[in-house]
Amino acid sequence: MNKILVALGLATTLALPVFAQAREVTFTTELLNYGGDGAYLALYLTDTAGKYQGTLWVAGEKSKYYKHLSGWARIGGLNPAEYDGLTGASITSGRTLKITLDLDDALIDSGHEIRIDTAVEDMRDNRADVAVPLTSEGSGKAVTGRGYVRSFRYDF
Amino acid sequence: MKTRPFILCLALLFLSSPLLADDDCDDPVAKWQPRENLRQKLEAEGWTVYRIKVDDGCYDVKGRLSGQYRAKASFAPASLTLMKLKLEREETNDENDADNSYGSQTWGVTPDTSESSAPRNGIVKGRPSVKVE
Repeated sequence: MNKILVALGLATTLALPVFAQAREVTFTTELLNYGGDGAYLALYLTDTAGKYQGTLWVAGEKSKYYKHLSGWARIGGLNPAEYDGLTGASITSGRTLKITLDLDDALIDSGHEIRIDTAVEDMRDNRADVAVPLTSEGSGKAVTGRGYVRSFRYDF
Repeated sequence: MKTRPFILCLALLFLSSPLLADDDCDDPVAKWQPRENLRQKLEAEGWTVYRIKVDDGCYDVKGRLSGQYRAKASFAPASLTLMKLKLEREETNDENDADNSYGSQTWGVTPDTSESSAPRNGIVKGRPSVKVE
């Protein structure tokens, strides 16, 4: 009986940090009715100094156009290992993209910033269309982008 | 006896000549419409027009149709009627090059996640769930 309890305790102790390390975060990005083709978006994280930390999602399936997501591309996003498994269709004018993912807990309230670069064919590329700090306080608060993003919010 | 095949050949020759001439355009120059009219007409029909030139009295158009086909076509310059059309599906080794348009995939569809691999960049755990509304 004691052995079972010890094993259970050990298993819980080992398992808990694993669960505690990730938090489910939903990122909601609503686009303006800009009237052009589907928009390419890169959602990524930087630290306070603007140094690239990782990609959260890239909307747009053709990697040859990723260079237009210039802020993200310039600081390190263009390496395929960075966006492998994190890409999907581009987003048309006026639509809303909702991404839910498990994010490393250590990235929240630790000075990291979420950035979104946007690009549309034959239209302007927007480096850091959105740039907001990833904090518990900022959760659920919508911000306005300065390019094609009408509003952006994250919830956890 | 030998005249029958000769007459038959002659008849076929006369019949075939209008067919062969079908590709040529013989609209009087005074009635030609500007190239811009043709460009607008084609773009309304889903073309991406690369260039329009005059060849054998026709407007020869090179472009892309429905974002998937390279297209060459001839149009009668007065009526803008289609005379000839050649379509070629874009062939590239790179899947990304299937067409050259930024946002040509189906919009608003949640990408199929079944075959996608888990992300490898370290900060995202597992494949995100994505919805477009």
